[in-house]
Amino acid sequence: MTLSRGAAFAIVALRVVIGWHFLYEGLAKLQAPAWSAAGYLKQARGPFAFFFRALAADPNLLERVNQATMWGLVAVGLGLVLGCFTRLASLGGIAFLLMFYLCNPPFVGYFYAIPTEGSYLVVNKNLVELAALVVVLLTRSGHVAGLDRIIHGLLRGRRRLAPA
Amino acid sequence: MADDPRKPEDEAAGGGRTLDRRDVLLGLSTVPALGLFGYAWRKQRSYEQQQREMAEASRPAPAPDLEPIDVALIGAGAQGQVLLDAMLRIPGLRFRAVCDIWTDFNLRRAVNTLKKYKFEATGYEDYRELLDKEKKLDAVVIATPDFWHAPHTVAALQAGKHVYCEKEMSNTLEGARQMVAAARATGKLLQIGHQRRSNPRYLHCREKLIGEAKLLGRIVTVNGQWNRAVAPDLGAPDRYLIPEARLKQYGFRTMHEFRNWRWYKGKGGGPIVDLGSHQIDVYNWFLDAVPSYVIASGGLDYHDPKTHEWYDTAMVVYEYETKQGPARAYYQTQTTNGSQGYFENFMGDQGTLVISESEANYPGRLYRDPNAPAWDEWVQRGYVTAPKVVEKEEKEDASVLDVRESVSPDEHRVPVVLRDPYHQPHLENFFAAIRGKTPLNCPAEVGYESAVTVLKVNEAIEAKQRLSFRPEDFEA
Repeated sequence: MTLSRGAAFAIVALRVVIGWHFLYEGLAKLQAPAWSAAGYLKQARGPFAFFFRALAADPNLLERVNQATMWGLVAVGLGLVLGCFTRLASLGGIAFLLMFYLCNPPFVGYFYAIPTEGSYLVVNKNLVELAALVVVLLTRSGHVAGLDRIIHGLLRGRRRLAPA
Repeated sequence: MADDPRKPEDEAAGGGRTLDRRDVLLGLSTVPALGLFGYAWRKQRSYEQQQREMAEASRPAPAPDLEPIDVALIGAGAQGQVLLDAMLRIPGLRFRAVCDIWTDFNLRRAVNTLKKYKFEATGYEDYRELLDKEKKLDAVVIATPDFWHAPHTVAALQAGKHVYCEKEMSNTLEGARQMVAAARATGKLLQIGHQRRSNPRYLHCREKLIGEAKLLGRIVTVNGQWNRAVAPDLGAPDRYLIPEARLKQYGFRTMHEFRNWRWYKGKGGGPIVDLGSHQIDVYNWFLDAVPSYVIASGGLDYHDPKTHEWYDTAMVVYEYETKQGPARAYYQTQTTNGSQGYFENFMGDQGTLVISESEANYPGRLYRDPNAPAWDEWVQRGYVTAPKVVEKEEKEDASVLDVRESVSPDEHRVPVVLRDPYHQPHLENFFAAIRGKTPLNCPAEVGYESAVTVLKVNEAIEAKQRLSFRPEDFEA
């Protein structure tokens, strides 16, 4: 299947806005004086709740989770906006969103004290963003427009030189 | 790469060369998005900054000739941070130094916070070094564990500084007495952090509603509580652990004890002292008396005795002899269930006052007994709000009133709201007192009375019998 020009650039736009969102989420947490994932992890529900609560219970792990989340979001955001190591960034973003989704899943019968936005039935915005990133991942949008196009070009050049 | 859907275009565009102009342009094409992001980010930051400045400007500006007071903070843990945040909103203060033995965490955080507000504060691990080197200080604010209050306060007073010390004044009466003596000997101010004594809502209730308008009539019973849900012990990441030698030097056996000192005997006084201290102080203050007797039941009913030494549950009855006659006051604190949070409930023969420090939960409600004189005059004068109108349906819904039930009282509100952090007015009172503009709202002697009242509970729990206070017990 080949993508039309329009479709390819629409996916680039999708990638950039998702990247923007990640970048801001990361920077906003870094800038907050004492951001911690503890509250979010503690209200975990569903089949993996024990895992997320265990993360919150151990101060060493929690510290690492906090750092990984803040810097991870920034890295994924930069990667997606710039189209730099796009597939790795997409995978990272998918991993984050999957964790967020599984930590507080919007399943029937779960009630959260702080519903931040809207009403959900199984599908929430984390899942939508995740699905969008799968599209970004599989269409290699960094090669349409993004630093990957340059990186790829340089690597291709080097590969050609090597056997000679 | 074989299934790469972009490949045909790449090849067509690239031709034989590895990288052409089109590749570079498209490669960099999303970089401007990052610039746009930076622009939006800066816009937002400057908007927030503007909001802060506007909030700053809306507060009364400090008098231009306001001589700054040089302040140091000893103890920059959770409570120290709360006090620091409140102080940063008070004009005319200059922060010079911070001291905390948890240098990698508390101390660094506090110094960085101050840096954000453009104060170059020096960080110290040892309070003696701080008092030795910071010659210019006017005042020291102390928010260390209770068993350090006396040594820190006495040293600071003797170094010639005014002191604001968190409650409980000390974990021992001996320590509290030394603090009173040091304040008297040095002539310096010592304010104890029972911050409700400066809270405008509490002041309004005590001075206007109970004192002047006498809306409650004679207060015969009091009831109050601070209930907290089970909470895990505080921990610390390994990379921030305090070296063992330093912990020992400052009286802690382990990092766990340092983080959870409130639970350990010889360090704090347990929940009754941590939480009850504030509210029992209000009992004394509103009843304008100190108790004559105390009965208490309590124990370590729930938590692990290996890591918790003090009682997690305490139920107390004080007997007062007020100017109007006898009064009994119940207080409970427990740390296994947070039901109804915290409040104080003063019950007089004409009305009830339910109040708490919290703006959200019990921000001040008055209930007029149906047989009491009308409060119209006090509504007109703005002392209380007009009574809540009971909806007709609500009335019809209610089952027929049984002859044994009282008619439900009118509900009024206390029309005073504190929009600043809870500790700010009490700190403002302290700094205004340093400038000679007002007396302290909770000087050492008052803090001592409160400490005597509260520390006796643990004694009564151990004794398993009714204990009496002698009037001279309250004199330091």
